[in-house]
Amino acid sequence: MRGYELTIYDKAARPVWGIGLRLAAFCAFTCLAGIAQRLPVGTIPPGNRLMIIEAHHDDHTWQWGFGGLAARMTDQGYEGILVRVSNDEKDGDDGYPHNDMVNLRECKAAVAHIGIDSVISLNWRNDYMDSTPLQELRAQLILLIRKYRPDVLMAYDPWGHYDRNPDHRKVSRAVAEAYWMAGYANVHPEHLRLGLKPHRVPHIYFTQRGDYGKGHEPNVAVAHDASHVRRKANAMVAHRNIYHQPQTARSIRDELRKQGLHVPELDGLSDGEAIDQIEKWYMYWSSERYGRENGLDYAEVFYQRAEWDHRPGLTEYVKNNAVSQ
Amino acid sequence: MNFLKQRMTTTLLVASLLLVFGSSPAAAADKKVVLVITADASDYILAAGGTIAKMLDAGAEGYLVRVTNDDKDSWDLTPEETARRTREESEQAAKILGFKEVESLGYRAGELGGVSPTELRDRILFYIRLYKPAVLFIPNPYAEYVEVLDRFYVGQAAEDARRAASLSNYQPPFAVVGLETHVTPELYYYAQPFDPRRREAESTATFVPQPKALDIASTFDKKLRAAQALKTINHSTAMRIKDRLESTDRRLPLLDEINEESVNRLVEINIHKLAEIAAKDTEHSQAEEFHYAGVEYQIPSKYLQ
Repeated sequence: MRGYELTIYDKAARPVWGIGLRLAAFCAFTCLAGIAQRLPVGTIPPGNRLMIIEAHHDDHTWQWGFGGLAARMTDQGYEGILVRVSNDEKDGDDGYPHNDMVNLRECKAAVAHIGIDSVISLNWRNDYMDSTPLQELRAQLILLIRKYRPDVLMAYDPWGHYDRNPDHRKVSRAVAEAYWMAGYANVHPEHLRLGLKPHRVPHIYFTQRGDYGKGHEPNVAVAHDASHVRRKANAMVAHRNIYHQPQTARSIRDELRKQGLHVPELDGLSDGEAIDQIEKWYMYWSSERYGRENGLDYAEVFYQRAEWDHRPGLTEYVKNNAVSQ
Repeated sequence: MNFLKQRMTTTLLVASLLLVFGSSPAAAADKKVVLVITADASDYILAAGGTIAKMLDAGAEGYLVRVTNDDKDSWDLTPEETARRTREESEQAAKILGFKEVESLGYRAGELGGVSPTELRDRILFYIRLYKPAVLFIPNPYAEYVEVLDRFYVGQAAEDARRAASLSNYQPPFAVVGLETHVTPELYYYAQPFDPRRREAESTATFVPQPKALDIASTFDKKLRAAQALKTINHSTAMRIKDRLESTDRRLPLLDEINEESVNRLVEINIHKLAEIAAKDTEHSQAEEFHYAGVEYQIPSKYLQ
């Protein structure tokens, strides 16, 4: 993911400006929070299994990810499965094979914090996914959807605009195709020979970066508590290969020292410990911001498509007239 | 005075465009041609059937190009049988709306993501040059959250085909067989109401389509009958709803018994609600929503000024 992020995440290039921009963005968001229109507060859909399908090892944990939602759902009894589509070989500084292995290992450690113990890696080549055949990737996802029959799917928004990361674009389109087609028996009928059945996932949550203009516009806020945010923050910090950058903390503290300032909470911490703390704070900041905007303590925001939204003329009728057996 | 000049210039440009398409054989026969491009059998009916029927009732000549063969959307039928039945039903539905001909391109449903966009464009371009429509209906590729992505792919290809059909450097061999370039003056982008931002106007008033709602009260019954003619798709829809509800210990009393009557009733509820959604906040009681690009949108703003 990092290869296509804004400078604020380019830890190697300009760490001080990185944090500075983050803080500036946070302040701007805070100011806007007071005038933003509140989103409806979402409830957790009924079900037993969630599936996150994402291009990269860390897409679930950062501030626009699904970490808090997944933590809340697994708390309520959901089983979680994460499908990593790329091999993340570009994410890190120690060569492709090292990055591939370490990022997958850290991904497994990270999602354990949010209650997910199953990670399936499809290992398509990171940042070369333009040549990944859409239909082939879709077929893999349809197979997994039919095998695991999730009640909830989480993915990047295929209708989001301005996502500069081509892996996100490719994977979100493949997810949209698989989500649409997995319920039709005439699609990949060979799967039925394995005893699998067609499955339409009833609920889907889409996300995208929240600072990419009007392309991705959330329609629901999901509340979290402090425990969910803590676990989401721990999950983010677990991606040490890309986020554990002690030099960033050192630069921040040097810069503050020049101005005669310091952060008392960081006193006595090593640079490594300090950067972990800063990353965790950032996760709290973003969760608090979405919470404040929507009248909650902590929140994440998504574009949710619910059970009958794919039949706009029947949504209301089915909701109002369906009864218990 | 400047205003008058502007109006005169606009009128002249519109007249020029009308002369261009007025030279087509269809126009020479004094028939306005409406060409509808659809990815599948149901989408254009649900999103635009009433408006199309109204134009055809008023004397226009209608042609339908159905890009896929709809072979996936059935319950307990093979792809081949699904495609066969839906083709027949699609032709019946088109007849109810008043179409003169239906062309089925036969691409497998759900597989357009793997089809060359240029190939698709050129096949649609062929029909634009063949029929020389005055009005073109295409799926709106900018409508967000349309789940059936065939509609997105067809919308993109059709939009490109409309532009390319007017330029002689696209598909020169077509000219050899008598298919001359053609400018389609009116363009309707249609989609069912999935997109929460579908009514937001585009950024400028020229050169881009704008939201438009049209009254369909007079042709609502035709639209309903056409939708009900798609028996295979409708049965599949009913079964899928029932199956999902049963898997979560629920039921819909209407679908306790799935038969022609209950399925037709489900279609009726759907069509009524779609017309109500489109009519919301308009002067109409039953409507359809489009993004519309008329003749005036095709004149660059620099000439209008």
